[in-house]
Amino acid sequence: MINTVYKDALAIDGQTFKAMIAAALTWLKTNQQIVNSLNVFPVPDGDTGTNMVLTMQAAYNEIQNSEENNIGKIAHAVAQGALMGARGNSGVILSQIWRGFARGLDSLEKMDAAILTKALVEAKITAYKGVVRPVEGTILTVIKDIATASENIKEQPEIDEILEILVRAADVSVLHTPELLPILKQAGVVDSGGKGLFFIIEGFLKFLRGESLDTSTAIMVQPLALMEGNEMENIEPGQDFEVVIDFRPSQTFNLEKFYADLEEIGTSIQVGEGDGIYRMHIHVPTENRYAPIDYTMTSGTITKVYIENLLDQMENKVKESNQTLSLAEVEPGQIAVVVVSPGKGLSKIFASLGAAAVVEGGQTMNPSTEEILHAFEDLPTDKIIILPNNKNIFLAATAAKESTVKHVEVLPSNTVPQGLAAMLRLDPYSDLDDVFEDMKEALTEVDTGEITVATRSVTINEVDVKEGEAIALLNSQLVCAANSVNSACLSLLDKVDLSEKERFTFFYGVNISKDDVNTIIESVREKYPDMEVELHEGGQPHYQFIISIE
Amino acid sequence: MKENRNPMGNVYVTHRAIATIAYQSAIESYGVVGLAAKNFAEGIAHVLVKDPTLGVEVDFDGQKIEIDLYIVVEYGTRIKMVAESVSSNVQYRVEKIVGIPVERVNVHIRALRISDTD
Repeated sequence: MINTVYKDALAIDGQTFKAMIAAALTWLKTNQQIVNSLNVFPVPDGDTGTNMVLTMQAAYNEIQNSEENNIGKIAHAVAQGALMGARGNSGVILSQIWRGFARGLDSLEKMDAAILTKALVEAKITAYKGVVRPVEGTILTVIKDIATASENIKEQPEIDEILEILVRAADVSVLHTPELLPILKQAGVVDSGGKGLFFIIEGFLKFLRGESLDTSTAIMVQPLALMEGNEMENIEPGQDFEVVIDFRPSQTFNLEKFYADLEEIGTSIQVGEGDGIYRMHIHVPTENRYAPIDYTMTSGTITKVYIENLLDQMENKVKESNQTLSLAEVEPGQIAVVVVSPGKGLSKIFASLGAAAVVEGGQTMNPSTEEILHAFEDLPTDKIIILPNNKNIFLAATAAKESTVKHVEVLPSNTVPQGLAAMLRLDPYSDLDDVFEDMKEALTEVDTGEITVATRSVTINEVDVKEGEAIALLNSQLVCAANSVNSACLSLLDKVDLSEKERFTFFYGVNISKDDVNTIIESVREKYPDMEVELHEGGQPHYQFIISIE
Repeated sequence: MKENRNPMGNVYVTHRAIATIAYQSAIESYGVVGLAAKNFAEGIAHVLVKDPTLGVEVDFDGQKIEIDLYIVVEYGTRIKMVAESVSSNVQYRVEKIVGIPVERVNVHIRALRISDTD
């Protein structure tokens, strides 16, 4: 028996929970056909929605006539009802979710935010216990993500705000299921059981907000989300726009004729029906983008129109795919390197050098211990080296080391060039301590230049700096100020002992134009004809340049 | 040994291969927490097996496959539903991969695993 102090205003009692279950059931029923339409796994029988509704119905029947005001007892009754009435695979999992949820509530009178989290975590644990090899991309993943979202909520005064966050987490999780389960992606659907669970949670929220539960607001397919990363490598001519129209057909509606007429307008035609509403999907060339609407008007009453510019979507996709990182894959026993990188370009370079995980962060955007921890906790090895690449992140990285059972070493790399130099010494198959010593040695072999703009006037190291001036740091020490980035670069390089150096590598940031970059590189090459000068996109904020001198 | 005639020659699929497919899809089925050895004495029936052929029996009459599964189920799940789902899972997967009709899948619940008591 747990005794928890809770604030009455936030707490939900047994009778409220009963009403929430009723609302969830109603909302699930309203959307039953949508869930059914998603069913492809593992047997295309299309009854997940029905099974979940029947399971929830059985759960609700158990409490329907109960006057009990203890939420723990109501939840146990819900679990019992769900167990006895579990239908289908999704029903069995749902019953396990309720069983864990009820266990989390124990016999508490009321549920507040903290207890809700505890119950959700229990629900997740119990759900996962029911299977040896959990298949991700299913309802299991969704309950896991909901529980995680709940754990991450720090301060949230109102229970409906909490539920709103959970609903959003469930939504995101459901949309992500095709990425985890290839069969879903092939079929172009999201997971049905996960979607069902989403409706249950959304039903809770709708009840608390007093929203209507009778009319489905969801659409049967979500063309945009589903196409993400799927069969969109190319757009064939005449497929510039995607048009989706929901409509109620007129009395004289003839499906065959409708199809035939649409074929005159565009390609990839699909027509689906649910609850008297038809949904039509078509790809058309730009000049025909309104034609499907005009035509459908003649066949019935349009309720919703949805147009997407596929060309634009395509461009975005190309852009995004350019930015995906190909991180090193680690096997058990290998050394995995986690780097903190201040910019996308630098992340890519770190990845190409064999980093197994990248945490974004740097000056003025220090990642938390938790973020660093997350980056390596799931890696399948227990040998970890962290490269903070910034003095301010060293502490967070050390804290991450102390909060894990894995063998972690934190390399005191204070700058990105130091981190890059260290990466070159990585041998993932070698002994962790040896590699760590090697990497540490590499830190001293590189000098780091950084160019930024002063945010205030100050005098440091006998250098007078005025606000707005370009300043140069050599190994994190302010060495000069100048009125332009170009001259700051040149006078910085001037101050380095170049006797044993042979290469400058410039990483340019987001706050400088490509033209300026080229001009500066030219002037550096001119002044130092014996040095190799390399240029890469760093993508870091604040710093116009990070310069590796080796 | 199963045989599939095709123009390029014969394809043979062993019982063991089919048992492996059945085993894999069984342990991915929700509610199934393991397979138990079919031949062991009652007392140790709950011993979970890693070798697919110990928990799965495959029978082939030249036309159709019949499969017997000896499973351990999580206590607290509705057994009938778990059994139905594992049976349809196994049938679907074996038919899809091997291409020979599965006539029946018999599911034997050998034990329940109690991981929590409410």
